[in-house]
Amino acid sequence: MIEFGDDGALELNFMALGLMQAIEQSEIAGIIDSIPSYNSLLLEYEPDKIKLPDLTEEIQNIFDSLGPISDIEINSRLAYLPCCYLDPWTKAAIEDYCLKVNEREFDPDFVARINGLEDKHELVRVHSNTEHWVASIMALPGCALMRPLDPRCLLVSPKYNPPRLWTPANAVCTGGMSTSIHTLRVPGGYNLIGRTPVPVYEANPTSDAFRNGVSLLQPGDRVKFVPISVEEYKYIRSQVRSDSYQYNTTDYSKFSVKEWEKWSLSLTNQGNTNDL
Amino acid sequence: MTYDLEVIKPGLETTIQDWPGLKGGFKYGFNRSGPIDHYSFRMANLLVGNHPGAPGLEVQFIGPTIRFLSSQKFAVTGADMEASLDGNPLPLWETLSAEAGQILTLGSAIKGARSYIAFSGGLKANYFLGSYSTHTIAEAGGFDGKKLEKGNKITINPSSVIEKLTLPDKYQSMFSNNGQWIIEIVLGPSNDWLSEEGIELFINTDWIVSPRSNRMGIRLEGPSLKFSERAKNKAPEHGSHPSNCVDIGYPFGGINICGDTPVVLLNEGLTGGGFIIPFTVASCSLPKLAQARPHEIFKFKIISVEEAQNIRKNINTLCESKTLKS
Repeated sequence: MIEFGDDGALELNFMALGLMQAIEQSEIAGIIDSIPSYNSLLLEYEPDKIKLPDLTEEIQNIFDSLGPISDIEINSRLAYLPCCYLDPWTKAAIEDYCLKVNEREFDPDFVARINGLEDKHELVRVHSNTEHWVASIMALPGCALMRPLDPRCLLVSPKYNPPRLWTPANAVCTGGMSTSIHTLRVPGGYNLIGRTPVPVYEANPTSDAFRNGVSLLQPGDRVKFVPISVEEYKYIRSQVRSDSYQYNTTDYSKFSVKEWEKWSLSLTNQGNTNDL
Repeated sequence: MTYDLEVIKPGLETTIQDWPGLKGGFKYGFNRSGPIDHYSFRMANLLVGNHPGAPGLEVQFIGPTIRFLSSQKFAVTGADMEASLDGNPLPLWETLSAEAGQILTLGSAIKGARSYIAFSGGLKANYFLGSYSTHTIAEAGGFDGKKLEKGNKITINPSSVIEKLTLPDKYQSMFSNNGQWIIEIVLGPSNDWLSEEGIELFINTDWIVSPRSNRMGIRLEGPSLKFSERAKNKAPEHGSHPSNCVDIGYPFGGINICGDTPVVLLNEGLTGGGFIIPFTVASCSLPKLAQARPHEIFKFKIISVEEAQNIRKNINTLCESKTLKS
């Protein structure tokens, strides 16, 4: 595992993805797979093909050739995902938890309150007003770990303790500084704020929008959640079931860390952080 | 399609697996799946003339009852589940034959926990991310992504005539006779989150295998660990408990410290999350993890990466047909 720093700054993920991209393009023998995360990159290698000291040296060389973080450019595309915020299905999961485990505030009210927002409707506006950066796909098949690219839209919330017993598949949830889509019906600790009718993981996807045949998203992609009503949710579900849903994604282009830093800094200088 | 096997009773959790499992899935959130005891699995395949990684069955704790619909060569390895054919006891670790209509039964494990059944030619199964292994969480690969159920019918790929082989006693695994297992581990990636005292405590503890263990991971019961300054004084985004960290990728075999509970991540374990991994089990010890039973004891032993890789190489050399005797 290569560590790039000891906090959760988004720049460290740009380094991890930049290095991963460069390693994939390199001719290093023996690298089997990788898991990038916020401030680290885990590599799996075949020790019969390369020895650890040689691998370390090769990776150090590639890393040195990347230059400063701001020079990194990452292949990225934007996926528009419909999201039924404050939906009845995740509400049922929260109510079930209240009944069986611990009484707690309704998740969207809770996240809004501890982030100093007016109410859950402002939470929806803030959450849907930014592109979310896919830092990693981890833990579960196709499960994206995302961070808002607009620093004004950063939401921070503690996770459930003890964890929830179940989460409806395709729940949109926040925890720590991240947003995630729980692709499967699993236990979980993130706060539930909505549900997308559109699967981002399928074992046998019919849409060619899926990368590598299994996951709609990959690290370095961006997601914009588009608020929809329960009626629209049901309509899109029926489209998904009949294979007539068209995924809305842009083509791949280069995401420039330099441009993002400039924009991000200009927002901060205006002094309007967390004030949409 | 013609079928060669029919499941009469599925057992506790019987799945189709191949070795080494899914390829290139970590980046998309898939662990590799595959057999936990990769040694017994590979030996079973070699005994029936297959490639060591060919698709076969992993059987856990309570075995299945299977009817042969055609005559076949097969082998049973790993845990002793008192395998029998039409009620006649079968030996482990050798090439066996069955005729159409005969019934193979594996009972409860009396020694070890997981058995492997290989069939000459290998099983036909769904292909997913470069593998025939069942990934039950993703519901992909193997037999429609699921554990076997009563009535399932399976096809075996054609094979050529093979001779009867056995694995010499000295190469048959690796069981503990006193319920204690020495598990080889390497340090990292998060070993600097434990204090020196914490690492010593981990090594000197008799960890108890929790019954709440499965193909995702083995939970261990024991004392609370002791953490280093890095774990105690850290940026707030790491979380509040000393074992919390900014999400990291989890290595296969990683020992995940979830609060006070260590969980050894196995073949269908999570590929990442917000808890530290101070140690990683060396691949040579994975077969022991597969065969350990609830309430047995793990003692951990730190070895160097180089040692771990040398042992792995020796095991790979053993897992070739020249190890078998006719």
